[in-house]
Amino acid sequence: MRRFRKLALAVAGGLAVTVLAACGSGSATSASPGGTLTISNESGGLWTCSFNPFNSAVQFLALGDIYEPLTFVNALKNDQTTPWLATKYAWSNSNKTLTFTIRDGVKWTDGQPMTAADVAFTFNLIKKNPALDLNSVWSVLTSVAQQGNNQVVMNFKSAAVPYFYYIADQVPIVPQHIWSTIKDPVHYADAKPVATGAFQVNPCTPQNITLTANKSYWQPGLPKVAKVQYPAFTSNDPANNYLATGQAQWGSQFIPNIDAFYAKKSPDHHYWFPPTAQVSLFPNESNALLKDQTVRQALAYAVDRNKASSIGEYGYEPAGNQMGVVTPTFESWVTPEAKTAAAAYTYNPDKVASLLEGDGYHKGSDGIFESASGKKLSFKVLNIGDYSDWVASVQTLVQSAKAAGIELIPDNLSSDDYDNKLFNGQFDIAYYAESGGPAPYYEMRQWLYSANSAPIGQSASSNYERYSDPQTDQLLDQYGSTTDPATQKQIIGQLEQVMLTQVPIIPVTESVDWFQYDTTHFTGWPTPQNQYALPSAFQVPDMGQVLLHLQPK
Amino acid sequence: MRYLLRRSGFFVLTLWAALTINFLIPRLMPGSPAEAIMARFHGRLSPSALKAITAALGIDTTSSTLTQYFQYIGNTFRLDFGDSVQTFQPVAKTVAAAIPWTLTLVGVTTILAFVLGTGIGAIAAWKRGGKADSILPPLFVVGTGLPYFWVGMMLIILFAEINPWFPVALGIDPGVTTGFNGVFLGNALRHAILPAAAILITSIGGWVLTMRNTMVTTLAEDYIRMARAKGLSSSRIMLDYAARNSILPNLTGFAMSLGFVVSGAVLVEDVFDYPGVGFMLVQAVQNEDFPLMQCLFLLITVAVLVAVLLADIATALLDPRTRSAR
Repeated sequence: MRRFRKLALAVAGGLAVTVLAACGSGSATSASPGGTLTISNESGGLWTCSFNPFNSAVQFLALGDIYEPLTFVNALKNDQTTPWLATKYAWSNSNKTLTFTIRDGVKWTDGQPMTAADVAFTFNLIKKNPALDLNSVWSVLTSVAQQGNNQVVMNFKSAAVPYFYYIADQVPIVPQHIWSTIKDPVHYADAKPVATGAFQVNPCTPQNITLTANKSYWQPGLPKVAKVQYPAFTSNDPANNYLATGQAQWGSQFIPNIDAFYAKKSPDHHYWFPPTAQVSLFPNESNALLKDQTVRQALAYAVDRNKASSIGEYGYEPAGNQMGVVTPTFESWVTPEAKTAAAAYTYNPDKVASLLEGDGYHKGSDGIFESASGKKLSFKVLNIGDYSDWVASVQTLVQSAKAAGIELIPDNLSSDDYDNKLFNGQFDIAYYAESGGPAPYYEMRQWLYSANSAPIGQSASSNYERYSDPQTDQLLDQYGSTTDPATQKQIIGQLEQVMLTQVPIIPVTESVDWFQYDTTHFTGWPTPQNQYALPSAFQVPDMGQVLLHLQPK
Repeated sequence: MRYLLRRSGFFVLTLWAALTINFLIPRLMPGSPAEAIMARFHGRLSPSALKAITAALGIDTTSSTLTQYFQYIGNTFRLDFGDSVQTFQPVAKTVAAAIPWTLTLVGVTTILAFVLGTGIGAIAAWKRGGKADSILPPLFVVGTGLPYFWVGMMLIILFAEINPWFPVALGIDPGVTTGFNGVFLGNALRHAILPAAAILITSIGGWVLTMRNTMVTTLAEDYIRMARAKGLSSSRIMLDYAARNSILPNLTGFAMSLGFVVSGAVLVEDVFDYPGVGFMLVQAVQNEDFPLMQCLFLLITVAVLVAVLLADIATALLDPRTRSAR
């Protein structure tokens, strides 16, 4: 079964928490924390007991619970921000300057105060060591400096509003008095982190991490959970057994037949899978046939998204839509016109035939369309053989496309081989999902921004289908220079039209955040009614928010 | 003596060949660690940052393959395998954390399976046609035919879920700290019982069958009849005459499987989420983690070679004919 790629961390959006938990209310009725929470999240290996928050392999353990970022950005609630270590932020100078006001009264776990100097130090640390700059924020920043007592000013090369998410939500703030003495921060293990977060490592073994509540945490009365156990699960089945037997309360992986295996075993067992990005067909723009917009449109009508969702993904991942916006997560970004047009983009063999016949194609004797010069519409679909759900999904696409007169041939490879061909553009069509972000813009930029691409045979950083359109680039740049939600929505509306007419990408299903939770001993979980954070235990820094909201019964 | 010298020379030669292949194979695989890293960053990585990361990892793509080869040989003898590409932590430390679990569980069960299997095989052959012979070997052979993961899952369902006598997964309970004390050892033992039982059920049959069949042939030899005619005791004939000669083929097989103990049991680790190096190896290959891969491959190769060498020595002790062979 498919294992989500753990290391593709930056997916996380922030969660929108209403108020950073108790920080406003400040009531001093702090009951002492209680209960032991066990997390069951397949990690694929034993723990290294490294908590370096800049190490992409272990960041999911350290950002949110141990180290904290400046601001919380909620991916499920339209980019909504909540103050964390910064109390407020402001854009100025035509959105080329960002000023944070840093919270007073926060202490590191060794008792020293956390200040604006620590924040400025952190950003300059990742400038000096690009390997720590996991989201390449210094590709847009020019300087970060302390201003006055409690402010930090960041200057940008050009307006870079969407980078706020990466800067405020994804960069862990570290103490200057510790990290300035570390000679090699890239290889630094950080086995005993000194941080500001609600939890401390105490102790860690290769098989299990124990986190205990930080008794002098700066948010009064929090955390309410006394202890967190995080065993190292190398595979799905044992992790699922741990959940089903009630030994773990927080799950974050795929469970086949979840109703019978998990939900029915106790009325306290629940699950919720909010969609975050889209698993899509990426037609290679350098392919002689696929560079024709009409062929791509026909292909979009020839794939049965509902079957891929219901058969390939057991119905757990909803069908995607041609406008390229994850719904219902980003519903508010959808324009009415796009919604109507996307609804018409269903499986429709007649429409495939009329489109292709109007484009000079005719059906060959084998029922597959071919061009006037006899080139068959037959494409290989690059896919990862280990992801059994993706393989099953593509199999349903093969059948539906064949009935509509287009031949798809699955090419299921090992992930190494797959990555290699994907990055270098050596495929007809690729089946792939980007990481997305807290708004539709992030995934669309990954898909469509031509600067991210590369010539065939060279590694692209995204935009693997090699799509290039100056107008689309311009729209994406414009989005980056505005903080006005109305303008942003209008731009996304135009990008939806690009997706619908040019069909550079064909979304098939929506990838989801796997999440199972047990209410026997703990309440306060994120739910569809209270979407305060992305719910998976591997989402940073969201898992820190979840831990702050949980309370023992 | 000459025999042992020749064996040792062969050992050194094979070791060198293994070292060299170990160096070459990862470099012949498609893709590169740099590309695997790119995949993790999803398009936000500038080319200069990528360079910085590859440099930090020590992935040297500039110096010649020959230079890299000599560096590799030198580092190997200092047991310096570099840092893992996935975790940035020293490979030797990562492997050292997992290997005691593998050696204890798989090692002990392999020895147990060999001793029990050979013993049962010998008894079955000795009492050929008796009750033990008609029940035991077929029973264990059926066990060998069952897939390991199926046996594992059945044991979990029966003895961990329906009857919650044993834990469903992991090497110890979360919260139990590692150390030589009663709590830890007791807890670890409880967790080891189901995985060990599953290994025994699926592996013992092979030993039983080979031992029984070889011994049946041996029992028909003239020197057995001679021993009987001399009036030696049954147990002496069974152990010193029949079993000693019959065990030789099993011994080589045992050496091989002892060597492979180091590679862990991927399925055990997968089904029971038992800590160990088997799954680590799979992960290393998937993530193009050259340093970790090389360290593990090397461990496996050396372990197999050493075990085979030891088996050769044991064979020489048990069977005088090999000693005089030219």
